[in-house]
Amino acid sequence: MKDTLLKVENLSVHYRTSGHRRFGGRSPLLKAVSNVSFELDRGETLGIVGETGCGKSSLGKAILQLVPAATGRVIWQDQDLCTLGPAQMRPYRKDLQLIFQDPVSSLNPRMTVGEIIAEPLRVHSPELTATERNIAMLDMMDRVGLLPEMAGRYPNEFSGGQCQRISIARAMILNPGMIVCDEPVSALDVSIQAQICNLLRTLQRDTGVSLIFISHDLSIVRYMCSRILVMYLGKVMETGPGKNFFSRPRHPYSRVLINAVPKVDLDNPAPFLGNVAEGELPSPVDPPSGCVFRTRCVHTTPQCVQETPELETDEAGTLVACHRWRALN
Amino acid sequence: MSRPTTSAVTRIVKCRNLNVQFRTDNGLLSAVSDLSFSLNAGECLGVVGESGSGKSQTFLGMLGLLADNGTVSGSVTFRDQELLHAPRKILDSLRGNKLSMIFQDSLSALTPTMRIGDQLSEVLVRHKSMSKKEARAKVLEVLEIFGIPDVAQRYRSYPFEMSGGMRQRVMIALATLCRPEVLIADEPTTALDVTVQAQILRLLDGLKRHTRTSIVLITHDLAIVAGLCDRIMIMYAGRAIEFGTVRQIFEHPQHPYTRGLVSSVPNLNSDPEVDLPTVPGQPPSLENLPAGCAFAPRCAQVMERCTSVQPMLRAIKSSDESGYYACHLGDDN
Repeated sequence: MKDTLLKVENLSVHYRTSGHRRFGGRSPLLKAVSNVSFELDRGETLGIVGETGCGKSSLGKAILQLVPAATGRVIWQDQDLCTLGPAQMRPYRKDLQLIFQDPVSSLNPRMTVGEIIAEPLRVHSPELTATERNIAMLDMMDRVGLLPEMAGRYPNEFSGGQCQRISIARAMILNPGMIVCDEPVSALDVSIQAQICNLLRTLQRDTGVSLIFISHDLSIVRYMCSRILVMYLGKVMETGPGKNFFSRPRHPYSRVLINAVPKVDLDNPAPFLGNVAEGELPSPVDPPSGCVFRTRCVHTTPQCVQETPELETDEAGTLVACHRWRALN
Repeated sequence: MSRPTTSAVTRIVKCRNLNVQFRTDNGLLSAVSDLSFSLNAGECLGVVGESGSGKSQTFLGMLGLLADNGTVSGSVTFRDQELLHAPRKILDSLRGNKLSMIFQDSLSALTPTMRIGDQLSEVLVRHKSMSKKEARAKVLEVLEIFGIPDVAQRYRSYPFEMSGGMRQRVMIALATLCRPEVLIADEPTTALDVTVQAQILRLLDGLKRHTRTSIVLITHDLAIVAGLCDRIMIMYAGRAIEFGTVRQIFEHPQHPYTRGLVSSVPNLNSDPEVDLPTVPGQPPSLENLPAGCAFAPRCAQVMERCTSVQPMLRAIKSSDESGYYACHLGDDN
């Protein structure tokens, strides 16, 4: 049964940039996220993918109310989080957790691992005694694969992979409804990446937590996510079930991203010659007119320059923002 | 351009029993131990390992670029010229000229207070005795080839004014200006987006095909290696644990670590329903290496002698492709 936990409607995030002030006027507006809408079901993982600067981290932060939304709503179980003040937001923080990319710098170096993992309990469940907190903390450490004797040690004594386990334990100890994972494995070694991905999947199976998995690594996203949302310059290019995305990408940009993933193809050792996007992401302060991807797209027509494409749905429920997706598929 | 011929391969770089050590507060730390390999003319060698496996230090040590507390021993020759402890004058005439290196972090590898164009033309003035004017013309030409837009304007840019992908192109241009015989690329695409990574890899692929430059590609990403390299060296805790052709490593990996590494790489064909196979545990700390095989604590097939005797590299027997690996599982008995 479908059980929608989170509904994001027309969410936009704008930043006022510093510098480049034009003739005494206000500095230009950077539209990091423009009109993004999606839903997240209980126990589901949504992958948000795109290049650096596409707005995927800003989207994650706006959902958690860590940066203010310029427009739109973030509805968590019938409550619009954007209308809440910091104090009113507090009870919801228990349900909404975050895991960062850099596991070492996201842990307080002056706190022991045990203190770090138990701290959310101290803040959100003041009724618990120290012993109860301790029991919960040790139980959580066990579930993420940390040994009890590590509780008294400090983060600098641990490797990146173990620090990420500590972050996961800290995020999971309140039994949240949703965790936003912002590039949780991209700073880790390959063999450790697989361990952390498996751990997140196991915890999700056990607790039914929903995940928003922000990543630029499509092979990991494919493995982790049931649905995918592709962003480019703050806009949604394509969103739909993961299976369809990888077998039948609809948007030219999705195809470019999938083609750019290095493949192990021993019989065809002339790689990287296929459909590679030329150039780089244009400046988000001054995005192209019409379709934002048109400057790097090989299928651009005059219509793409003039009109902004709306999201259209295909027969399998994938939404795609491209004037020519029917002709190109 | 000339195609690789079947004549005898030229071993352009020979490394014998290389050791790289660092003096630390906790005593001597061995980053690279007893490493021997050779690089053939025109080939691309992939060096794969996790952080701390010694893959970067091997090549920094080779070029005399170690941190002050580092020491090297052994022998590394480039066309019969010994590189280790060679006089500064000889190294300076080779580095950036015949032997070049590209680094992961392009922002800190380029001089922040110098314009891109000046950094590039300086190399030609220094190594090729060009006049400043000739150098400028050559640099503009090369930047154009490397896909830099508005070269005349970019010539005057400072590194911070460029994007990461653009800087990485500049660094590759810088490293290849003098047509080096050996190009060492240390994680050249790790900090880049996949789309830009594909562009940079295509650039390196073109270099390999058209200029017959020998390339060493240091990376932790096996999938990149599969597309670009001819041979692979797998490193673990400062030692080479397996050598082989790309096909050998991917189709018949011998060392348990290599097998784990090859199978734990998610790709776009694996079944997402099945958990990723993993190599359990953590890479060992170099300050506290176990006796015997460094991989033994993480190895599922560990035997008694693994924890006491260091396994030696041995040739792979049962295979058409050539290769070497260091594991007691191949011991005769």
